[in-house]
Amino acid sequence: MSAQQPVLQLQNLARVHGAGATEVHALRGIDLAVYPGELVAVMGPSGSGKSTLLTIAGGLDTPTSGRVIVEDTDITTASVKELAALRRRSIGYVFQDYNLIPALTAAENVALPRELDGTSARKARVEALKALEEMGLGHLADRFPDEMSGGQQQRVAIARALVGDRRLVLADEPTGALDSETGESVLALLRSRCDAGAAGVLVTHEPRFAAWADRVVFLRDGAIVDQTVRNDAESLLSGQVAEA
Amino acid sequence: MKTWLHSWRAAIRIARRDAWRSKGRSALVLAMIALPILGVSALDLTYRSSELSPAERVERSMGAADAIFRDAQVEGVPILQDPQGEMHTPAKDYKDQAWPNGRTDVTKAIPAGSTVLTDRSGPAKLTTVHGLLTTEVRELKASDPITRGITTLLSGRYPEKTDEVMATSHFLEASGLSVGSTLSARNFDRTYRIVGSYELPDALATAQVNALPGAFLAPYAKAVEKSGLPAPGTSTAYLVKKSGGFTWNTVQQINTKGVAVTSRAVLLDPPAESEVPLYAKDGWGSWDSSPGADAAELAAVATVVGLAMLEICLLAGPAFAVGARRSRRQLGLVGANGGARSHIRAIVLSGGLVIGVAAAVIGTVLAVILTLALQPVLEDVMNQRFGAFDVRPLELLGIALLAVLTGLLAAIVPAVTASRQTVLASLTGRRGVRRSSRVLPLIGLAAVLLGGAIALFGSLATESFVIVAGGSAIAELGVVAMTPALVGLFGRTGRWLPLSPRLALRDAVRNRGRTAPAVAAVLAAVAGTVAVSTFMASSEAQHRAAYEARLPYGAVSTFVMEEGGRDVPAVREAVQRHLPVDVRADVERVSVGKPGCDPWGGGGQGCGRYEVVLPKANECPLYATALPGAGDPSEKYTPDQRRKMITEDWRCSQSSGGGWVSVDGGLLVGDAKVLQVLGVDDPGAVKALAEGKIVSFSRAQIDKDGTVGIKQVTDIAAADKAMEKGLPAPGKLSSVPAYLVPEGQKSYGVQLLMTPATAKAAGLATLPAGAYFSTERMPGTEERQKLDGELAKLGSNVDLHVEQGFVNDDSLFLIALAVFAGLVTIGAAGIATGLAQADAEADLKTLAAVGAPPRVRRTLSGFQCGVVAAMGVVLGSAAGVLPAIGLRLTEEREAIGFYEEAIRQGWDNGLSGPPYVPIVIPWETLAGLLVAVPLGAALLAALVTRSRGALARRAAT
Amino acid sequence: MSIRHGLLALLERGPRYGSQLRTEFESRTGSTWPLNVGQVYTTLSRLERDGMVAQDGEDAAGHALYAITDSGRAELRAWFEKPVDRTSPARDELAIKLAMAVGAPNVDIRDVIQSQRHHTVKAMQDYTRLKAQALVTVENGGAQERDDVAWLLVLEQLIFQTEAEARWLDHCESRLIRLSATAARTTDTRTTPAAPAPAAPAPATPPAAGAR
Repeated sequence: MSAQQPVLQLQNLARVHGAGATEVHALRGIDLAVYPGELVAVMGPSGSGKSTLLTIAGGLDTPTSGRVIVEDTDITTASVKELAALRRRSIGYVFQDYNLIPALTAAENVALPRELDGTSARKARVEALKALEEMGLGHLADRFPDEMSGGQQQRVAIARALVGDRRLVLADEPTGALDSETGESVLALLRSRCDAGAAGVLVTHEPRFAAWADRVVFLRDGAIVDQTVRNDAESLLSGQVAEA
Repeated sequence: MKTWLHSWRAAIRIARRDAWRSKGRSALVLAMIALPILGVSALDLTYRSSELSPAERVERSMGAADAIFRDAQVEGVPILQDPQGEMHTPAKDYKDQAWPNGRTDVTKAIPAGSTVLTDRSGPAKLTTVHGLLTTEVRELKASDPITRGITTLLSGRYPEKTDEVMATSHFLEASGLSVGSTLSARNFDRTYRIVGSYELPDALATAQVNALPGAFLAPYAKAVEKSGLPAPGTSTAYLVKKSGGFTWNTVQQINTKGVAVTSRAVLLDPPAESEVPLYAKDGWGSWDSSPGADAAELAAVATVVGLAMLEICLLAGPAFAVGARRSRRQLGLVGANGGARSHIRAIVLSGGLVIGVAAAVIGTVLAVILTLALQPVLEDVMNQRFGAFDVRPLELLGIALLAVLTGLLAAIVPAVTASRQTVLASLTGRRGVRRSSRVLPLIGLAAVLLGGAIALFGSLATESFVIVAGGSAIAELGVVAMTPALVGLFGRTGRWLPLSPRLALRDAVRNRGRTAPAVAAVLAAVAGTVAVSTFMASSEAQHRAAYEARLPYGAVSTFVMEEGGRDVPAVREAVQRHLPVDVRADVERVSVGKPGCDPWGGGGQGCGRYEVVLPKANECPLYATALPGAGDPSEKYTPDQRRKMITEDWRCSQSSGGGWVSVDGGLLVGDAKVLQVLGVDDPGAVKALAEGKIVSFSRAQIDKDGTVGIKQVTDIAAADKAMEKGLPAPGKLSSVPAYLVPEGQKSYGVQLLMTPATAKAAGLATLPAGAYFSTERMPGTEERQKLDGELAKLGSNVDLHVEQGFVNDDSLFLIALAVFAGLVTIGAAGIATGLAQADAEADLKTLAAVGAPPRVRRTLSGFQCGVVAAMGVVLGSAAGVLPAIGLRLTEEREAIGFYEEAIRQGWDNGLSGPPYVPIVIPWETLAGLLVAVPLGAALLAALVTRSRGALARRAAT
Repeated sequence: MSIRHGLLALLERGPRYGSQLRTEFESRTGSTWPLNVGQVYTTLSRLERDGMVAQDGEDAAGHALYAITDSGRAELRAWFEKPVDRTSPARDELAIKLAMAVGAPNVDIRDVIQSQRHHTVKAMQDYTRLKAQALVTVENGGAQERDDVAWLLVLEQLIFQTEAEARWLDHCESRLIRLSATAARTTDTRTTPAAPAPAAPAPATPPAAGAR
C-alpha cells in the first residue's frame, strides 16, 4: 500500500494573512500526504489553522509558499479555471451545513459536478443514482434538501463529494451541526468510503469523531506537532498497549 | 459545444427552481417584462390582422367586379394615373392655361361585352328620431352578385322595390331608427321603408343608406332644387366585369378617354414603378418615403424600444441582484463543487433567461388570447373588420425575443458581480466591501460631457432638434451610468441626520448595487418627465402669449351659411335658450342672386357674389393683383424695401383685429348692438350707423371720397375670366358713405358694419347669417353640451364659437406624464425598499436586540423608500431641465431665423413682432415630483411595512 | 463492586456454574475487564455468605450450579436503580501527574499533555475501530445480538471516557497557554516581546512516515 501514490500532498505549506503589524501566520511549513484508502483527521484548537489547511488543499485559497499536489497536479500554479475544473473532477468538499443546493434534488445535487463538467444530464443522473445507491441513500434520490434531515443531507453531500472519479474528500466539521448519533452515521459513511479506496481529510475539534480516522494530525499555531497512527484493533483485544 | 450546453442545462435547472421558490419576486419581474410584450404583441396582431391582403382589399372595394371606372373630371382629355386609380392628372402640361374641368361619358370608355353596375352616391339630409342627419345615400344594387364583399348584410334583406332602402348599423344607431322604420328626407316628400341593415367591412363607422339605382338621388335632387336650394352633387363609379380583366396596358388605353380605372388585375399584380408614367411627372413621384426618413423613423423606434428596455432592466436588475445575493451560499457551493466563474454567471443569467422566456411565453399567449377575445371591440376602434386573424410567427418571435433579451440584460450586472466573488467569500458569507467600479462612472462622465457638448452645439450652432435630443439622450445615459458615484456623494450628507434616516441613507449608499439601478430607473423616468413638462410649459407660455381671441372674453358667435339662412332663427333661439345670454345682436350678410346659393358664389345657375372693392391706391404694392405672366409683384422689391414696407407702410400692415368672419371683406349687416357685444366703445360709430353710414375698421377699404364700394357680381363665369386677365369683375357698384373707427379698437374680424336699412337703401339684399351674443358669465360645459346636442339635431353646418380665452390642451397630458413618473418612482423605490428590507433583516434583529422599538422597522423602511425616491428625483430633475432648455433655445433660434426670413421676403405682416420663445420651468410639476413623490413613497412604504417584518419574511422565501 | 453485581445480573437469567459465569461476563464486556476463575469463585462465595446466591445442585458434567436468591434479586435491583457513586473519585494518575508537572523544572507541560493526548486519541481510534466492527455485526443482526449490543455499549462508554480525558487535556492546554501568556506579559516586560504563546518545539514523530 505504501507504494501507492498519495492522492493529496502538501509540501512545506505556509499561509500568511495580512501584512506588517497585523501579519498572522495561519500555516507554517506543513508537510502532509494522504494516500488512497486513508482517512486523516486534523485536530487542533481554534485558530490553529485547520480550516485554512483544508481550503488551501482544495484550491479555494492559495498558499503564500509551498506546494499542493492533487493527483500529480500542482494546484498552486493552476489558474482559476483549472482549479474549478479540478474541483469538478478530483476534489469533493463537505462543509458543516447547508451543503446542498436547495433548488436541486439529492440526485441532482450529486450529479451537479458531473453536469457542470459537461456530462449529459442522463449519464450524470445514472452516476449519481449509483453513488447514492452504494451509500445506501437510494431512497433519498428525488427529495429536495428541505425534505431531508441534517444527517441525510450530509451523507448526500459525501456522495456528491465522491461521485464520478473523485477520490479525495475534504470535510470541514461535517458533523458540527449534528447530534452525536447522526454525526456518527456520517462518519461511518466517510469511513466506509475510505475503506473502499477513497482518500479523506477531516477537520474536526471533536476527538470522538477524529477517532474514526486512520491517522490523527495535531495542529498547533499553524504547524503539525504530532500525529497518531491507529493500532491493529486485534492488539487491543489481546490487552496489549501499543505505541506508535 | 456540447459540454457548454450540458453545464448550461444544470444552471437553468437551478435558476428555474429558484424562480419558483421565490414566487413573489419572480412574479413582479415577470409582470414588468411581460406587460410591454403583451401590449406590443397585441398591437402587432391587431395591426397585421387589420392589414388586408391585396385580394381582401380588392374584394372590399369592388366585390366580384374586375374594375371600377371613374370620371377624371377633365372633359375627357387623356390622363395619367397611378396603379391604384387614386391619383390622376391630365397627360398634357397646362401650366398657366385654364385646366380642363368637366364631365365625360364614362360609359363610352367601357369595353363592349362587359357587365356594368353603377355605383352612385351623394349626400342627403335625412330625418331621424332626433332631427336631421346628413348622410351619404348610395345607389348600388347590393343584391347583385358582382357587389359581393362590398357590403355585409347584417339583418333583414336587400331592397327590392324603389321605396325600400337598407342602412348601415352605424346609421341606425346614430339616427335612432331601426329595420322596419320609415325614412324621409328634408325638402323631399317621398318616404322609404328600411328593410335591412348592413355594414361596410372597411369602414364600420359610416352612416350610409343604400337604395336601388335611380330610386333616391335623382328625385331627391329634383325636390331640393324645387325648394330653391342647389342640388347636392353626386359621384358615380362603374363596377365593370369583363372576362380577362383589365391589364395595366388596357388601363392606360382607357386613360386616354379621361377615365380613371381601378383594376383588380393591376392591384393584385402592380406594374413596376418605371412603367407608371405618372410617377415620372414633376411632383407626382411615388409617395414612398425616402430611405433617410425610414432610417430616422427606425432610429426613433429603436431609441424608444431601447429606452423602454433600459427602464425595465433598471427596474428588474435589483431583483436579480438580490436573488444572487440571497443565494450567495448556494453559488459558493457550486463553486466548491467545481463551478467555474462562467458557471456562476450562467446560473444568475439563467435566472434572467428563465424569467425572460416565461414573460415572453405568457405575454405572447395572453396577447393572442386578448386580441381574439377583444376582436369585435378592436374592430370598432379600428373602424374596419379584420381580414383573416393574421399571426406572424416571426414578428411575434422577434417581440418575444426582446423579452428574453430584457431578462438577460437585467441579469448581466448581478451575474458578473456574483461571479467575481471568491468562492471562499461566498461560503463564509463575508460581505467583502466591494469597491464600486471606477470605470463606469468615468464612462458616464465622458458620456455626460460628450452629450452635453453635442446638445450645446446643437442648440447654439444649429437648429436641428435631432442633434439636441440625441445629445441630451447620451448625456442622460451618462448620468444613469454615474448614478453609483452620485449615490456615494449623497452618503456624505448623512452625518447629522437622526438614526432612522441616517441608517437608511448609509444602507442605501453601502448597497449601491441595489440602490443605484432603482435610483437610475427613477432618474430616467423623472428626467424624461421633467424634460417634457418643461418643454411643454414653455410652449404653453408661448402659445398663451401668441393667443388671439376671436371674440371678447365670454362672448359667443354663431353663423349658418347654408340654405339661405333657413335655420338661423332656430340657431339663435337655441343659443339664447341654453346659454346665459345678456345681449343678442343678430347679423345678416349681403347676398347676390338666389337665396339658396352659398355665399361665395358656388351653387350653379342664378348664383352670384359681392365684392368689397379695394381702391387701387390703397393696395399694398407687395400684394397687388398679379397680371398674367408678370410674376409675383413682391419680387420687384429688394428685401430691404420689403422690410420697410411691411413695418412702415399702413397699406401693407393690415390687422384683422384678432378674429375672422367668413364673408368677403368682413362685411356684416347689423345694428349698434353688434358694436356693444364686440366691445367697440366709440359713440361716433353708433352715431354713424344711425345716420346710415357704413362703419369701417379698415382704412384701406375706404376710397378717397370717403365711401366704401360694394360690387354685386351676377355673372360669375365672366368675373372669373376677368380675374384671370387682372381686370375688375363686371357688376353693379354701390358706394356707401363710410365712417372710419379710430385705431386701437378691436373688431374681431368684422371690418365693415351697416344697418339693414342702410343695406336696403344701397340696393343690397340681405340674408340672416347668425348672431353675436354677450353673456352674463362664462357658459358652463354642461350648457355647451346641451347646445351642441340641439344644434346637431338641426342637421345644418353651424359655426359656433364661445370665447373662453386661452385653453391649454396639454394640461391633461402633463398630468398624465407626472402621474406616470410618480408611479415609476414609487414602483422603483418600492422594489428597492423591499429588497433593502429583506437584506436588512439581520440588522433589524440586532436593532431589536439592543432595544429599538418596533416602529423603527416601519420608519426605517419609509426612509429607505424615501431616500431612493428623493435621490432619483433630485438627479432626474437636474438631468431633465437641461435638455428642455436646450430644445427651447433651438426653437428660439429657429423661430428667429424664420421671422427674419419672413420679413426679408415680405411674407409676414410684421405685426406679431419678433418671436417670443420663453423658457418656463414648470414649478408645480417639479415641486410635486421633488416633494410630494418622495414623501408619498416614504409614507406608502411605512404604511405597508408591518412592525413585525411580514414583508421581509415573504420576500425571503 | 461491579463484579459482584455483574455476576448477580448473569445469575438472574438462570443458574450457572463458575467458569460459565466468567465466559459470559467477558463476552458481555468485551474482555475489557478480564477475570480469572479464582476471582469468580471468591466473589461467588462472598455472595453466598451474604445470602444473595445459593448452591443449586450440579449439572450433568458435575459443575456446581449457583442460583440467585430473593435478597440477591433485591440487591441487584437496588444496584441498577442507584447512580454510580461519585463521592470518592478514583485517584487518577494522570491528574496527579499534571498537577506535579506544573512548576516542575525541566518539564514542558505541553509535551506532557501532547504525549498523553497522543496516547488517548490513539486508544480512541482503536476503540472506534472495534466499534465500527461491532456496528457492522449489530446491523447484520447475528444470533448473539444481545451480547453484541452490550459490547457496543461498553465500547462507547470507553470512547466517551477517553474523549472526556482528551477534552480535559485540551482544556488544560489552553488554560496553561493563557496563564503563561499572562505571566509572560507581567514578568517579561523588559525583554523583547516573545511569541504570544510559548514556542512549540514539539519534536513528535516525523509526519507522514509511510502511513499505515
